[in-house]
Amino acid sequence: MSLLRVCCTAARGFASRRVFLESTMNTAGLRPAGYASGGVTKDKEPLKKAKTPQGRFDMEETESKSKDVLERFPDDVNPETKEKGGPRGPEPTRYGDWERKGRCIDF
Amino acid sequence: MAAVCAASRVLGTKILSCKSLPAVCQANRQLHFSIYGKRGDAKISDGVSNQYPVVDHEFDAVVVGAGGAGLRAAFGLSEAGFNTACVTKLFPTRSHTVAAQGGINAALGNMEQDDWRWHFYDTVKGSDWLGDQDAIHYMTEQAPAAVVELENFGMPFSRTDDGKIYQRAFGGQSLKFGKGGQAHRCCCVADRTGHSLLHTLYGRSLRYDTSYFVEYFALDLLMEDGECKGVIALCMEDGSIHRFRAKNTVIATGGYGRTFFSCTSAHTSTGDGNAMVTRAGLPCQDLEFVQFHPTGIYGAGCLITEGCRGEGGILINSEGERFMERYAPNAKDLASRDVVSRSMTIEIREGRGVGPDKDHVHLQLHHLPPQQLAARLPGISETAMIFAGVDVTKEPIPVLPTVHYNMGGIPTNYKGQVITYKDGQDHVVPGLYACGEAGCASVHGANRLGANSLLDLVVFGRACALTIAEIDTPGEKLSPLKPNAGEASVANLDKMRYANGSTRTSEIRLNMQKTMQSHAAVFRTGDVLKEGCVKMESVYKSMDDIKTFDRGIVWNTDLVETLELQNLMLNAVQTIVSAEARKESRGAHAREDFKDRVDEYDYSKPLQGQVKKPFEQHWRKHTLSYVDPETGKVTLEYRPVIDSSLDAEDCAAIPPAIRSY
Repeated sequence: MSLLRVCCTAARGFASRRVFLESTMNTAGLRPAGYASGGVTKDKEPLKKAKTPQGRFDMEETESKSKDVLERFPDDVNPETKEKGGPRGPEPTRYGDWERKGRCIDF
Repeated sequence: MAAVCAASRVLGTKILSCKSLPAVCQANRQLHFSIYGKRGDAKISDGVSNQYPVVDHEFDAVVVGAGGAGLRAAFGLSEAGFNTACVTKLFPTRSHTVAAQGGINAALGNMEQDDWRWHFYDTVKGSDWLGDQDAIHYMTEQAPAAVVELENFGMPFSRTDDGKIYQRAFGGQSLKFGKGGQAHRCCCVADRTGHSLLHTLYGRSLRYDTSYFVEYFALDLLMEDGECKGVIALCMEDGSIHRFRAKNTVIATGGYGRTFFSCTSAHTSTGDGNAMVTRAGLPCQDLEFVQFHPTGIYGAGCLITEGCRGEGGILINSEGERFMERYAPNAKDLASRDVVSRSMTIEIREGRGVGPDKDHVHLQLHHLPPQQLAARLPGISETAMIFAGVDVTKEPIPVLPTVHYNMGGIPTNYKGQVITYKDGQDHVVPGLYACGEAGCASVHGANRLGANSLLDLVVFGRACALTIAEIDTPGEKLSPLKPNAGEASVANLDKMRYANGSTRTSEIRLNMQKTMQSHAAVFRTGDVLKEGCVKMESVYKSMDDIKTFDRGIVWNTDLVETLELQNLMLNAVQTIVSAEARKESRGAHAREDFKDRVDEYDYSKPLQGQVKKPFEQHWRKHTLSYVDPETGKVTLEYRPVIDSSLDAEDCAAIPPAIRSY
């Protein structure tokens, strides 16, 4: 019976416990070294927002989009070849093989 | 609380039964799938083994593998009314087809005037006249219809301004039989044609009532009197054995890139179909033709585009020397792919490789201005950081020749039926079909053209379904099968599960991969290949001493990896022995000691006055390899190439000539 109880509590509490641990670890790691001693040490970097599941989804939409190296064409139409819905970025077959992000996909 | 207790009780009983009860009692536990609807005729039999529960299923057709070709065959059969099962070790959308992001060729004629006969010529020439012209005729003639059919299924091809499918120039395609300049035949879906193809086919297949058996590892074919009567498979989820009895079996299990140390294929490309056919005593065709790419990232296996060298990147050995200047003084790093691959391999063999094992070379890009690199090759710094862990503006990328595609496979005719060659004639094996990369129809011959393999998948997947619909009718009674059919496979499974030798599976696999990479890769000469054959024999024998650790039967990945290693071994020995025997250079099989093609006539000179060489003395023929699974000994036979197209008036066959681009 104790084995079963351990199993069921483990199964139920596992998900919530993992999130709990993650958030405490995050905040603990982010406190600067002299915090407990209460000295006048200034923070070298500003405190980051704890990445709780809710906080994670609050990231800016534009932030992730600008990191994409291959830009979308306006309306997905390639201005030179007038191809609709084609590959982004420069023409993939310009070197004789099918290139994307420096990788050769087909040759 | 009650629900939780009930759940934990079930959990508890499962835990207990796996540990304490003996194997025999597990036959009484609940099977993981509920038997309902058409699966109602699945019966548990104990004719095979009293240790392993074996479930028997009866279908009209079984398809092994659910990649592009497998899915097309499966729903083609369901559409024709057959009760079809699709047995796959991966979820359909995880098959390796999803990684094929290049385009698909078809002579639709949207960009300029085009004719499928010109596509036929290009493919025959690309295969170095080793492709069977009837199969190539079938594929290129069906290509436009196949692409339009895919588009009707919902595949979102990229479009021109007036709404037709946009085609671009790719893959050695020309107009007017090579005389009319570059042809634009390659259709694509943004950057992910293979991904989109697979998802389209999977979505379409759900309309029909194919029974999917996902995460079932096919062990062997059930052969009786030279006829294929089904497949025996291991359900990975609960460890039960299933026998799928069917009048028609279609093999679409993909290639075997994982026999080499560096390959672009997924870890699951282990040539299971080729091995199943070999164990059934049937031949595999042209396994020595393996397509390599010179610059694949060491360890990761993805390929770096030739554009890097085109923009000024150079290949460096351990001495910091730009070694391509020695091998190709004029073209240097821009020499053709096979020259570059061979030069890299020679440098590595002579000890000038880099890294702790000295088994690769460097591709240097940091001497180029970073803005130029980012402008001309956007995304390369990201690729290099993710896959090689290097900053491309400061360090070189480690590269080595990498396997990309296997042209060889299970020999079939143009209809997709598996054939054997006896007494000078092709004989069809009743009940067995093959398509996709696993099959060898042979459309790619000695070298595959870019964007032709996705076409191969859909055309021959459909061809298998059509042939079965032509020959067979749904609902036919199955011929009787011996009650102990599949016994040997289960015995082998049991042996591997309790294997207690001294070498682990991963060590033997690494030995095999390194041996194949250093002996059967791009650089092939007689001595190197012979040495490789001897080493592969000893690696094969070391399989007797294998050790596995997981003794369970539920989701035993150690066991499945060991079975996959057995399959890889059979493919590897056939590849290297066939390569050693073929004393010529043709397409992807290039030998240093026999640099020319050896055909029945010398096609570089006028044919008049030449004596035709007998079949035994020339090499324009298919290799058929058989293996004795006990000893690993390979026997080779040869089969002539089919030189006539399906309809000589409609499409004239192309007589052989010297291949030059």
